[in-house]
Amino acid sequence: MRYEIRVDGHLSETLAKAFPELGHVVMSGQTVLYGPVVDEAHLYGLLARCQSLGLRVVEMRQLPE
Amino acid sequence: MSAVAEPEETDEPEETDEPEETDEPEETDETDENASGAAGTAVPYADPLGDPFLRTRFALPTRPATFLRRQRLVQHLDQALRTPLTLVNGAAGAGKTLLAADWAADRRSRAGQSVAWLTVETGGRRPGVFWAYVLQALRACGALASGAVASGGPADATRVDRRLLAALAAELNARDRPVVVVLDEYDRVTAPEIAEQLEFVLHHAGRGMRLVLVTRTEPLLPLHRYRAAGELTEIRAAELAFTPEEAAALLELHGLSLPVPAARTLVDRTRGWAAGLRLCALAALESADPEVYLKEFEADRSTVADFLLAEVLKRQPEETQDLLLRVSILDRFCPSLANALTGRTDAEPLLVELHRANAFVEDLGHAWYRLHPLFGEILRAHLRVRLPGLEPELHRRAARWLRRSGSLPETLAHGAAAGDWGFTAGALVDDLAIGQLFTGLRTDDLAQLFSGMSPEDTGPATDLVRAAGALSRCDLERGLAHLHQAEESLNTDVPAVSDAAAARLSCALLEALAARLTGSPARAERAAELAEGLRQEVPAHLLDRHPELLALLLTHLGSTRLWAGRFEDARAALSAVAGTPGGAATVLPREEAIGYLALIDYLNGWPGRAERKALAAVSEAERFSLPEPCGSGLGRLVLAAVAVDRDELRRAQALLDEADRLGPGTRDPVTAAGRAVATARLLLVRGEARAAVEAADPGVFAAVVSPWAASHEALVASAAHLAEGRPERAAETLRAVSGDQPACAVEAARLQLAAGHAGAAVDLLDGVRAGGRTGPAVSVRAALVRAQAAERAGDTATARRLVEQALLDARRERLRRPFLDARPWIRPLLATAPLHELAAGWLMTPGPPGRGQPPATGERPSPLVAAELSGRERDVLERLARMMSTEEIAGDLHVSVNTVKTHLKSVYRKLAVSRRNDAVRRARDLRLL
Repeated sequence: MRYEIRVDGHLSETLAKAFPELGHVVMSGQTVLYGPVVDEAHLYGLLARCQSLGLRVVEMRQLPE
Repeated sequence: MSAVAEPEETDEPEETDEPEETDEPEETDETDENASGAAGTAVPYADPLGDPFLRTRFALPTRPATFLRRQRLVQHLDQALRTPLTLVNGAAGAGKTLLAADWAADRRSRAGQSVAWLTVETGGRRPGVFWAYVLQALRACGALASGAVASGGPADATRVDRRLLAALAAELNARDRPVVVVLDEYDRVTAPEIAEQLEFVLHHAGRGMRLVLVTRTEPLLPLHRYRAAGELTEIRAAELAFTPEEAAALLELHGLSLPVPAARTLVDRTRGWAAGLRLCALAALESADPEVYLKEFEADRSTVADFLLAEVLKRQPEETQDLLLRVSILDRFCPSLANALTGRTDAEPLLVELHRANAFVEDLGHAWYRLHPLFGEILRAHLRVRLPGLEPELHRRAARWLRRSGSLPETLAHGAAAGDWGFTAGALVDDLAIGQLFTGLRTDDLAQLFSGMSPEDTGPATDLVRAAGALSRCDLERGLAHLHQAEESLNTDVPAVSDAAAARLSCALLEALAARLTGSPARAERAAELAEGLRQEVPAHLLDRHPELLALLLTHLGSTRLWAGRFEDARAALSAVAGTPGGAATVLPREEAIGYLALIDYLNGWPGRAERKALAAVSEAERFSLPEPCGSGLGRLVLAAVAVDRDELRRAQALLDEADRLGPGTRDPVTAAGRAVATARLLLVRGEARAAVEAADPGVFAAVVSPWAASHEALVASAAHLAEGRPERAAETLRAVSGDQPACAVEAARLQLAAGHAGAAVDLLDGVRAGGRTGPAVSVRAALVRAQAAERAGDTATARRLVEQALLDARRERLRRPFLDARPWIRPLLATAPLHELAAGWLMTPGPPGRGQPPATGERPSPLVAAELSGRERDVLERLARMMSTEEIAGDLHVSVNTVKTHLKSVYRKLAVSRRNDAVRRARDLRLL
């Protein structure tokens, strides 16, 4: 599964390192984190990580393979 | 081992070791006063896992000087006292915790409200640990001063017994004023069963409990139902958000004056997020021109916390930045621990300053601090970028500091995080905590922690931990190999171990366990002697802190002595364990020891005593929510064997099935033999001789032959020969039966007699030691054999006298089996006048005189009640059966409602039920009503 998670605001390079398994790109006031997600547990883990870093998730979707 | 006073045993069939009735109902009435009196004061309490270090989890977080009390939220939160459930729900840094803490502190100081506070930690994910902490939080605020749950608690991390929760709910329900239970960071609870358990307690505690959940995520409770019933107070993110006016007031507290319109744009940018506003104030204050800074920030599009934290961090002095990054690996810290991580000595002033400025650091009291969870998380990300690769080293330093401060669990956690297994295993062993790998709340945690150990890690301590792990899974081969390796290296390179005595004592424990599993008494005695010598060399306070170590060792020793047939020696060791002060740490050895003691009573011919002890073992396990299977599961096997003696065959079968279904936690020869005895005897009674012979073989490897196990096996074989018409083979087989085993000898005598060897039978009986240890199961059988021999010799008067004595002895114990085995010769005797009366009611079905015949499978429900009901409990139970309410019962008996509830609780406990209807039904089944 591949996912992209869109969070509000521009993510710093330092904080982006908290998601070493994902790529990121900054666009129009948002940061898109994208990459492979192993399973549901990983997915919820990513969401929890966003929350614990004070990031506001605005969108999350599965990407076509 | 320590000299143990022999327990005084008399020949009186009535025992005095009944569980003492200590319920003092009147005391309960004072609980509430105690609670409010103690609220807010320092109650001496310790971590339920035996770690005083974690007391900060039960303390209300202190509010910083810059805390802004927002009256609209306080007023809303006051609703929490009127609804069972309150939810404070918002993102990290939304100000949830401070709001709840400020409110709770205010309720405590102004209204004398009992508030139990618990900061949930990651370890609290599992029900057993979670509830242990909740109970401790309740105790800490004085809400559980007395009552059934004041001392108990789960002993297994993964589960909690429903009865414990029912008792807790009942106790809370009895309160006049509710206790407010605040669970902070409840989002860390992910197990659905905990939510379900919380709901159960909340429901049954009624008006006695108000639950406040402070959480980032919505809990798995059926909120819609609470909402629909008007039983939910909700404070959610939108409400927690700062209004422009509040934001202005907050910045004012930080010394920043901002007009409300400017504050409004700031609130728009941060969405009223408390953490964002706070960071904003800090960053602005440290910039050259705060107002310009705020304008720039509003225009910036970075993620708020990320950006602001980096801003605030980079404005700190170098030393402060370094400190913050390094302590981000810790859940909590004090200046000395922070110094250990930085390698400097300046942590104290830096932390005081950081806390004063309300930047990142929260004060936990007693000079302990923690990072705000949100900032800690972001700082860790910075640490990895700024000081790459330093994390393991920081964990190592933290582990070493914590080791000195005496906090074992945190030492182990950081040692493991550093991957420093030699140190981590050494810490466990040196602390004499290796027994925790077998018993107590930490067992699972430790097993998981050490599962990361790689084969390259060598040293005596790591080998000991590996050996313990293998032996706890009954993997003898691997366990012995590691144990051997550990002993080798202890003998060769002692300096490698900081505390060789502790390592050797741990060795002795594992040796004793190996001895138990291999049925090797000599090995166990050696280990015990070794341990006895080493006890003087290890610090006494460590032994006190880890009572499980010696309790386990003595249990293993007792087990091997029991295997060898040295019942009195075994009893000495096992009684010492059974008398070990209660607590979760030693519950497993206690349960096992009581189970062994029950087996000894059974083998000595005391079915009543054996039953009481076996029930005590089972209930001990339940009191601490031990999982099934746990320990050796011997209690049920003994109960089954007793049931066979009483000819309660269905019950015996049910108990054996249950024991089979649960399987043994520990496979030792004693348990295997106990199972073989109970199963084979049941099969024999059923007439399945072949199957009985097969079942009688315990099928275990043991270093020495167990006299009683072998005798019982021979008895079954002999009985099978007899049943299949081979009296000579039967008699021959009996030669293996030792005269030292009275219970076996009398059975052998009966078989000899049945095989036609009256002389041999009487010889066997005469050879039985006339010691005072044997009980009615032996004397009754012996009397019956002599009676049969007398009758055969034509001496009916003697036979009658002996049968009369046997009936008198057996009646109290409901020992039916020996008489059923004595059919058909005894039948005519029992039909005659004095004997018939003695047998009526319990042995013979009531019927017209002269037709009395022992029932073939006479089944009478046998009470599974550990303790008799007191007179008052009976009064309450009778009224319960008449469908009276608690209040009505109280009125009827002229006692308080709380007293009735206390009686009800002990009735429930004694009947092993948790509900009224069940209690009544159970009492009817047991003919108590």
